[in-house]
Amino acid sequence: MGVTAKLLKGTAYARGLRVGQLDGYERLIAGIYGRPDRVPIVLQPYTYAMSMHGLSAKRFFSEPGPFINASRNMAVYFGADSWSPVFDFYNIELDALGQKLIWRQNSEPDVDTRSPLVASEDDFRRLKPPAPGKSGRMPYVLESYRRYMDLVGVPPMGYACSPFTMAVLIRGYVNFLRDMRRNPAFAHRLLEFLSMEVVVPWIDKIVEVTNTAIVVMSDAWASAPNMTTPAVREFCLPYVEKVIRATNSAMRTVMDSGSWGEKEVADPREILDVKMDMLTPGNSLKAMRPFFLLVWNEDYEVVGIPRIREYAEEKKVCLMLNVRPNLIEEGPVSRIVETVVKLIREGAGKGRYAMLINLVPVGTPVEHAHAAVAAMKQFGAYPVAAGLDAREFKAPPFAPFDEWMPTEGLPVD
Amino acid sequence: MEWEKELGAAVTEGEEIRSEELARAALASGVPAREVLEKGAVAGIYEAGRLWQEGDYFLPDVILATEAFNVVLGLVEPLLAGVDIPVKGKVVLGSVEGDAHDLGKSIVAALLRSSLYDVVDLGVDVAAGRFVEAARAHRPDVIGLGAYMTTTMRNMEGVIRALEEAGLRAKVKVIAGGAAVTADFAEKIGADGYGADAVDAVELVDGLLGVR
Repeated sequence: MGVTAKLLKGTAYARGLRVGQLDGYERLIAGIYGRPDRVPIVLQPYTYAMSMHGLSAKRFFSEPGPFINASRNMAVYFGADSWSPVFDFYNIELDALGQKLIWRQNSEPDVDTRSPLVASEDDFRRLKPPAPGKSGRMPYVLESYRRYMDLVGVPPMGYACSPFTMAVLIRGYVNFLRDMRRNPAFAHRLLEFLSMEVVVPWIDKIVEVTNTAIVVMSDAWASAPNMTTPAVREFCLPYVEKVIRATNSAMRTVMDSGSWGEKEVADPREILDVKMDMLTPGNSLKAMRPFFLLVWNEDYEVVGIPRIREYAEEKKVCLMLNVRPNLIEEGPVSRIVETVVKLIREGAGKGRYAMLINLVPVGTPVEHAHAAVAAMKQFGAYPVAAGLDAREFKAPPFAPFDEWMPTEGLPVD
Repeated sequence: MEWEKELGAAVTEGEEIRSEELARAALASGVPAREVLEKGAVAGIYEAGRLWQEGDYFLPDVILATEAFNVVLGLVEPLLAGVDIPVKGKVVLGSVEGDAHDLGKSIVAALLRSSLYDVVDLGVDVAAGRFVEAARAHRPDVIGLGAYMTTTMRNMEGVIRALEEAGLRAKVKVIAGGAAVTADFAEKIGADGYGADAVDAVELVDGLLGVR
């Protein structure tokens, strides 16, 4: 079935036209727009996939074959509905611009914050935009997307770094704080350049290769307490809107996501409102867009899921909650199941909900990740049953990974 | 306005250029270096800390105030040889081996400095042996370990073991923090305290040292 048919089937299911069984992609679409058969499970394999396959960071984050096959193996092994080819998406454009990264053996590369590429206005004047798709590791990303489509049969979610977070990374945090306060004209010039000369051409290239329906700009630095809400509104949101206006279309949604900080403010709605504004500026046809409001465990564990659920229902937006990564690592299974049940009981509502397994720490026992996915499947069926806490969890059998790989896994060497 | 108030306000507002100008002018007019620090810069950074505690200041405000404070400190420090600077204690900080994340640790350092701790920042990717050397050289009250990735947080335990082997563990409190770390993990590796974020750090250190 083609991707358009899958989109239609998922959307129709969400609206009550429940014909046939949903596959993972259709379940996610149904979960974004309404009520699927059960809560969709999204996995970001990331460095857990790297370590499970014994890959070095250099190979995983620069060779499309090992990266995509290892990520796919994790998704299939654990039985996720949907998975994203998640690389170090904050670094790709920066790497292409020439920002120095620090590479390590067993974890993702990082921006070398001791050597910001734009240490001065003179550095900025010398800065040249990347050749979209050609500079740095952009070819790795595009080829990874191609391989993902070959394997999965649908386009991946595209990832870009937001102009604001890119500006913080390329200038250094304190420098950019000073820019915003003392030299806002320069801050705006930098943001304009990053938006229109870096992010927009990069998203255009991703779209050209994948024809994806969703591109997400990640914006960690637009988070509290690192940034204030007024600063985000003045320096971040206008450029999110510029990028969206330049890149979206009726069939393509570009949005900004990934920030946090609800627990840092007196009224969490202050941050939730900013997040909603990051999804919507410049996006017409709002009711048709596959928006999702992502709230991280650090925040919902403090603020409480019901308040966030209430907000998402008021805004008619899909709520996505992750499971605390360290919990999946530390276990025990009973605590993982208990948490998954709570996330379903308080978060699933009548639909417009998805659960995310992200940043699973290297070394996490596979039975923990299996238990998280199995609990989501067992307890996440719609309509959500009453008395979930009293139900017994049935741990599913699974083959050890090294026995599973030779028969079911794709090679990474 | 007297120079003290002007300098204090410049520090509180994070105006490091203005702070330096005012500090230089005060020194040129014959104000002793210690007074420039205590009556101007320290008062200003205290005020920033107070505004932070009351929720009127956000992290960026505190960071910039600390930058301004550090500019004045750098200016007057050479003039203060032999003069006691009032501090609550000494803290050695670093991101553990393999971890190149600087910012979270730097924010902790900034907040501790703004609360008048003498902070020795060892930087990032700090091997266990360097923490031991720093413990010997600086005799800190507290060593703060930062890890921002699940892959690197395990190296925190190595630092604690190295301090034990060097016979220094009983002489120093060890705290752990960073995005990847949890309270359970900190307890498991034998740390004396855990900070969920930079904001926790000052209260944690105050509590461990019994100062407020």
